[in-house]
Amino acid sequence: MFYAGEMADQLKSPPPEWMVMSRRYTTQSVDTSALEPDNANGWYDATTQTLHMVVPTQSPQEVAQEMPVMMAKGHRTVKTLILHPCYTVGYGSKDHYNFPYYGAVAAMYGEGTPVRLANDRFEQFQSSLKRHAFDMNYDIAVNRDTGMLQSFHAAMTADGGGRSNFTPSVVMVGATAAQSIYYFPKSDLSAVGLASRALDAGSARGYGTLQSMAATEMMMDEMAAELKLDPIAFRLRNVLKSGMKNTQGAIPAGAIRADEVLEKAAVHPMWTERQKRKSEYESQYPGKRYGVGFGCVQKDFGTGAETSFARVELSENGQISLWHSGAEMGTGMSTSQSVLCAEWLGKPADEAHFSVTDWSVLPVETSGDPYIMSQEEQDKLQTNPRWSPSYCSPSSASNSAYYFSHSTREAARLIFEHGLWPAALAIWQTGIGGGQAAPYIVRKEDARWVDGGLTANGMQILSLEILAKKAYAMGGLTGAAVHVFNRWQWAEADFTLGNSRQRIPVDGLSVRSGAGEFKTLARDSVFYPPTQRNNASVTYYSAVGTLAEVAVDIATGKVELLNHHSIMECGNLIVPELVSGQLQGGLAMGIGHALHEYLPLYEDGPGDGTWNFNRYHLPRASDVAVWKQTSDILPALSETDPPKGMAEVVMIPVVAALVNAIAHATGHRFRDLPVRAENIREVLQ
Amino acid sequence: MSIKTQPLSLTINNQHYGPLEVPEGLMMIDFLHEYVALTGCRLGCGQGICHACVAIVDHDSGTSEEVRTCITGAHFFNGKKVRTVEGLAKTDDNGEVQLSPVQQAFLEHYSFQCGYCTPGFVNAATLFVERLAKHPIPLVDLEGAIEKALENHICRCTGYVRYYQAVRDVVLKTPGLIKEPV
Repeated sequence: MFYAGEMADQLKSPPPEWMVMSRRYTTQSVDTSALEPDNANGWYDATTQTLHMVVPTQSPQEVAQEMPVMMAKGHRTVKTLILHPCYTVGYGSKDHYNFPYYGAVAAMYGEGTPVRLANDRFEQFQSSLKRHAFDMNYDIAVNRDTGMLQSFHAAMTADGGGRSNFTPSVVMVGATAAQSIYYFPKSDLSAVGLASRALDAGSARGYGTLQSMAATEMMMDEMAAELKLDPIAFRLRNVLKSGMKNTQGAIPAGAIRADEVLEKAAVHPMWTERQKRKSEYESQYPGKRYGVGFGCVQKDFGTGAETSFARVELSENGQISLWHSGAEMGTGMSTSQSVLCAEWLGKPADEAHFSVTDWSVLPVETSGDPYIMSQEEQDKLQTNPRWSPSYCSPSSASNSAYYFSHSTREAARLIFEHGLWPAALAIWQTGIGGGQAAPYIVRKEDARWVDGGLTANGMQILSLEILAKKAYAMGGLTGAAVHVFNRWQWAEADFTLGNSRQRIPVDGLSVRSGAGEFKTLARDSVFYPPTQRNNASVTYYSAVGTLAEVAVDIATGKVELLNHHSIMECGNLIVPELVSGQLQGGLAMGIGHALHEYLPLYEDGPGDGTWNFNRYHLPRASDVAVWKQTSDILPALSETDPPKGMAEVVMIPVVAALVNAIAHATGHRFRDLPVRAENIREVLQ
Repeated sequence: MSIKTQPLSLTINNQHYGPLEVPEGLMMIDFLHEYVALTGCRLGCGQGICHACVAIVDHDSGTSEEVRTCITGAHFFNGKKVRTVEGLAKTDDNGEVQLSPVQQAFLEHYSFQCGYCTPGFVNAATLFVERLAKHPIPLVDLEGAIEKALENHICRCTGYVRYYQAVRDVVLKTPGLIKEPV
């Protein structure tokens, strides 16, 4: 607080070379509008005291854990809960939400018949979790002479509604993201979640960062204008670079490439020709004003306690099966996780199961709160060889590409290292004088999957079927189930595999040899990231920049999105089509947030039961420049770059780009979202 | 109080149903879901806005149209021929399912994400392709025609790009849908 006070004093009485800008930004409450409304199907079989539930949820493990706790308090006995978590969609709103439990209660009163409980759209508006409305006051100081940012003070509140859902963490994440892509030598960021009579707000794509980073990006344009600097050039002067600290003092993981995104945007014709295009467009369409805007952000992925289970099995005839704890919610993780098996096993999984909640094959125990536990508590708890700081994450926080992939890959990798590779060596070394392998040096790092199977440094190609048979015959490793934990760094543990001790980035492991049963291996020692890393709040980022080109109708205030171009950095792409699909979809959702979607918080809001898509405008194809939009994904630095989570970051820069484009078009800087036609009409009149 | 019913007979996906006693005023989507176990039409808004619920009605005149089943009573379809998303793929003599060209293109283009709106898009795109077979259009009009055919369909996940690209691809790959330049 001493330093915060010192910073506040300095912002009030700044050095003469500083320019201090203070601005207030507000964002609206938004409905995630998952087209599949909240629902649950259930049947209570009184004869066997079994409750069967089919629930769409992003967090199947939470439901599996909490539903028995709730049912135990009822007056009817539930001896067995059979849960069928299913493919769904929610953009956050089906994570940590009430509906599965409502469904369970309804099923208990079904008098022996199955019960379907499902919202219609009015009810969905009335009751589903909303995006938090933010109110943000930013004070940013910049040195007028150098154009370098000096100090950032932010105080923000978010309306969490009547029941606390994820509000405390949403506001924290919003605050930690406020720096966007910039380095600030000094920062004092605070955020408060407010209880109100509004509807409950919870997780919604962006998780507070959409609100806070879009505001920063609007302010950067305004500051650049005051300094008479090109907005992208101003950003480039201040962009956070690899190895620099974020506002929490942590050094982000790996290379930070927002500067490359900025450099590409700076030379894009939409940017370099914007003044020329403005003149031409406005002379051709006198009733319209043309503008180009830009925004660039980098968003974290993960939560600081990311956990998952994955189990990979190889059959004797070379079939690959995958079981994963992650839930498919439309992002394509069931495809990407299946595809990932190919890296180590030569082909995608033939069979894959998701939202798996039964992990009796790998017993893991958990206790304590992974986000706030002390180091002493962690040190004590980890003496239990089955303990992990957290059991299983929901599908959330853009966590499939990096975090879920880690468990899938590690399980597949173990089968390769301890099953397929020894089998290949045994085949290649068969024969007089050490076989075909003897004249060459054959190392594991030379192993490559090619058409037809596995080779290494010129060895005969061996099909997966042949390798699988050999691995079974040798009693090699043919199945692995792993549990992984990440607190902005992976937990590692030592295990004895075969005759060797090996440290691997998993904290729980069961393996199967040949056609045997799975056996859980006791870890020899474990290395959890220190609890202090919670203070980092964030270390993994993906960056996206978006240029937007708009025409504003002077008479109606209507904004026409003529075109947009996005530049993204997200490591290696597991399935490129899924990545571009997320980008395109996120852009559409960002466009809705910036220009269309609005819910009053209180009496006239969706709680009154009159809201539906007739008055809540979701972007249509004609709103998103469907044929013209383009994108550019930065090539990975090498084939070893990890894939990065990008399902949320994609929707954020377009928000600022649109508001900045409207400012370029009309000369007015809007700071309250959404910017709708009536808001523009007011200022133009 | 008993629910007043009326008989309903219709053809769905070339199969005749009825006469069935169906409550007056029951919406077609509920009839499809609850009476004939065809759950492909999705309830999105219940107002006829999002078009996730559309089915195809084939008229005796040889024309076809999309009808929103969430706001259209089941008895409106009495005596009519209806197609739903369940009826578009074919099953060959070996029991192998052959997806329709639109369905196949949506898969190949990764057009959908959660898939909730997909039946509506499949039906609308199918009708569009069938219309072009009867009335080809110049290539220059293709993108505008796709926009017109699909604009009413709401998708929250995808941003529409891959749906639209897939439909364009089907049209360009299907002989006879585009008028050759004179």
